[in-house]
Amino acid sequence: MDETSEVKKQEEQSRSVSHEHDTQKGKYMTFKSGNEYFGLKIQYVNQIIGFQTITEIPETEDYIKGLINLRGKIIPVIDVRLRFKQKPFEYNDRTCIIVIDVKSTMVGLIVEKIAEVVEIPEENILPPPSIGKADKSHNKYVYGIGKVGDSVKLLLDIDKLLNDDDMTVLEQVSGLEMEEGAV
Amino acid sequence: MAEEFNTEGMLDVYLYENEQLLEKLQETVLEQKDAECFDQDSINEIFRTMHTIKGSSGIMMFDNITAITHKLEDVFYYLRESHPEHVPHLKLVEHVLEVADFITEEMDKIRSGNTADGDPESIIKELDKFLDMIKNGAKEEGVELPPENVYEQPKQLYIAPVATDTSHFYKVYITFSPNTEMANIHAYKVVYAMKEIAEDLLYSPEDIISDEGSADVIMKEGFRILLQAQCTEEEIRNIIGIGYDIKQVDVYECKAEEFLQGFDFGGNVPQIDLGTDETVIEAGAEPESEQKEAEKPQMAPGDFVIKSKEPGKPKQLAKDKKNDKAAFISVNVSKMDQLMDLIGELVISESVVLQNPDLKVPGLNLANFNKAAAQLSTISTDLQNVIMSMRMVPLTTLFQKMNRIVFDVSRKLGKDIEFEMIGEHTEVDKNVIENISDPLMHLVRNAVDHGIETNEERAKSGKSGKGKITLSARTEAGKVWISVADNGKGLDREKILAKARSQGLLEEGKPDSAYTDKEVYQFITLPRFSTKEQVTEYSGRGVGMDVVVQNIQAIGGTLEIESTPGFGSTMSLKIPLTLAIIDGIVMKTGDSYFVVETGIIKSFVNVREEMMIHEPNGDEYIMIRGECYPVLRLGEWYGLSGYQRLVNEGMMLIFEVDGKTICLFVDKLIGKQEIVVKPIPSYIKKVKGLSGCTQLGDGSIALILDPVGLIE
Repeated sequence: MDETSEVKKQEEQSRSVSHEHDTQKGKYMTFKSGNEYFGLKIQYVNQIIGFQTITEIPETEDYIKGLINLRGKIIPVIDVRLRFKQKPFEYNDRTCIIVIDVKSTMVGLIVEKIAEVVEIPEENILPPPSIGKADKSHNKYVYGIGKVGDSVKLLLDIDKLLNDDDMTVLEQVSGLEMEEGAV
Repeated sequence: MAEEFNTEGMLDVYLYENEQLLEKLQETVLEQKDAECFDQDSINEIFRTMHTIKGSSGIMMFDNITAITHKLEDVFYYLRESHPEHVPHLKLVEHVLEVADFITEEMDKIRSGNTADGDPESIIKELDKFLDMIKNGAKEEGVELPPENVYEQPKQLYIAPVATDTSHFYKVYITFSPNTEMANIHAYKVVYAMKEIAEDLLYSPEDIISDEGSADVIMKEGFRILLQAQCTEEEIRNIIGIGYDIKQVDVYECKAEEFLQGFDFGGNVPQIDLGTDETVIEAGAEPESEQKEAEKPQMAPGDFVIKSKEPGKPKQLAKDKKNDKAAFISVNVSKMDQLMDLIGELVISESVVLQNPDLKVPGLNLANFNKAAAQLSTISTDLQNVIMSMRMVPLTTLFQKMNRIVFDVSRKLGKDIEFEMIGEHTEVDKNVIENISDPLMHLVRNAVDHGIETNEERAKSGKSGKGKITLSARTEAGKVWISVADNGKGLDREKILAKARSQGLLEEGKPDSAYTDKEVYQFITLPRFSTKEQVTEYSGRGVGMDVVVQNIQAIGGTLEIESTPGFGSTMSLKIPLTLAIIDGIVMKTGDSYFVVETGIIKSFVNVREEMMIHEPNGDEYIMIRGECYPVLRLGEWYGLSGYQRLVNEGMMLIFEVDGKTICLFVDKLIGKQEIVVKPIPSYIKKVKGLSGCTQLGDGSIALILDPVGLIE
């Protein structure tokens, strides 16, 4: 096992220790976007809801589709395909929104198709190949490649998925405004 | 600090409770600051408060707080017991406030995870001096001094005799194991346990609680009890129980006469005839739990005194504190928010059910359904009202804080100032209180420092009476008005104008008289504007009024200034009752819904194309009733799709913010509605002109427009 995965493993352990549900360890929610299958650590997944009307917000990045009302809680939704700079797709009745909860920030991810929950043991996760420099932009959201039988799932780094580096500053600003503002 | 046991959960409770106590304390003290002296109730209350804080701080091992509260408790103990005259009341008030401040400061340190390391020594010394002084004052008058305030405990449990014919009399003799420590406490436990069954009870040695020497006596001679009760020996033995500490329990019945003789059986006891009617129980191991249960009472012996042996002794502290508190519980605000969200959802799902298309099928008999539906609507409306009222808190605490500031500042500046509160029970949203606390504090300080003249100046200008600051609150049309009024010298128009000129704020060529008073007074809300010649501890740096105005505007409020030279000035804050709900106009542009607060909209106008003026650079203006306003098309501004481009078809909203008037062009108006303001999720970066979002009746989301942002 090389160094990177060693680090990942430690990270993994520290996370699962802090998390109360040990049973969720090593489980991934997978979904299809484009031609690939992606995996999210299941502990981040709050719920999966059907597609609903999205209220657009002006002057935001194109992948932020807007706001939805989740039983009184208003949460932003992002389109995963647009986030990966893939071609947009038509939403239909079968389009789903995965609501994730990371550090008490709730965000909805619009995905083409939800696949299944799989268990990927530690030893089946490989670091992403980093030979092709051209591929770098794509790889920045993927921290590992999980092997499940013959197929491969790209495991997403949720923090990087949500936060662009250039976005963090703006986010802080709006966070401050929120504190001053209402509610 | 306290490694031995976990204080995590206790700490929150400790901080919360003491905070409440201190608030109450300050309120009491300030209420009576102008009186001759504290009345009996307040003295008792302050004493109790100090005692409670001392107790909890002791447990939490914050020694400095314990020490200082103990000292103040001493002072009030003295006041309570000997009612000394000639107590310098203001001095006392200051001391109490000083102690309260010290504790607050220490608690702040504790809250932020630091060690409470403040040194109470100097305050304690001051208090000592003060106590000495009032004591000496009392001595001169020959008043008898009460005993020192030591934590007194009842000496003996005395249970009133209730003799009946069926009563039995017992002599109980308890021997403790040789190594037992604090045998007196163990003996006390036994007595306490017997209280349940005893009709009359005597024991020896008598003074088992306060006299630690009694432990030795008990160890040497045993502990003897004379008991009159209806129960059998067996029951007595069960009650006494056998612990690791009790070696042997002898119980034998005796006659009434023997009982009345009391403890003169002294030496007889060891010679009891073991064969007859007494039993010796050999002590064995006893379950720990029983032991613990029995130990609890000794923590507060004062609780179960039936009758005090010494009539002159002060009564134990009444434990009535808890009672009036039980009516309140503190709830995490996030839970309240969640509840509000859910109720909002409930209302929406209610309308979805009640207006369900399935009900529109012709020929349905819905009489019962409609009745039930009406009932449901009533309940959900009530529910909404209740949750809103839960967020409302009275301004009392905030006003009390101001009282304190007036007191402090006026004392330091040597001004004689009266403080009046009107309408302090007005309720506003909790968030509002948090947001106006600082601005209000500033206004009050200003009033004391600049507004009210010094005593000499007042005398010179022939003003009678004290300076007075009135803090008042009232609600009017969904807004709260909070005003700070003083009867001081008022704002100096000329001085302000002169200063404004020197800072280049006046328009060239405009005569001074052309400025209205209102305009002139507005200057003082500008940054770095202070006419005060000297900077004092409290004000005059010119930082302040602008911050006040900014803070007030941030929550959608305004500041109004009125002033009459020579008679004082009034600063009025007009703020929304709640930040959570606003009265808004819902409108539509493209496919999006927007909301604007009703208050800022001046008018709605249907316009015609010929009223528009187009500049070559793309800017648009509109001529309405002879005035020319800039036009902002909302759809264009946000790059929305499918918005109305023909002005004839849409609607113009005219609103005024910060003295500027602009026209906002939208597609159409939907209606007026009370809306619950929610923040835009922090994940989305700040968008200019949007201040929040809300849910409409059908569950869809509307964005709340912030006109200030649009103007920028």
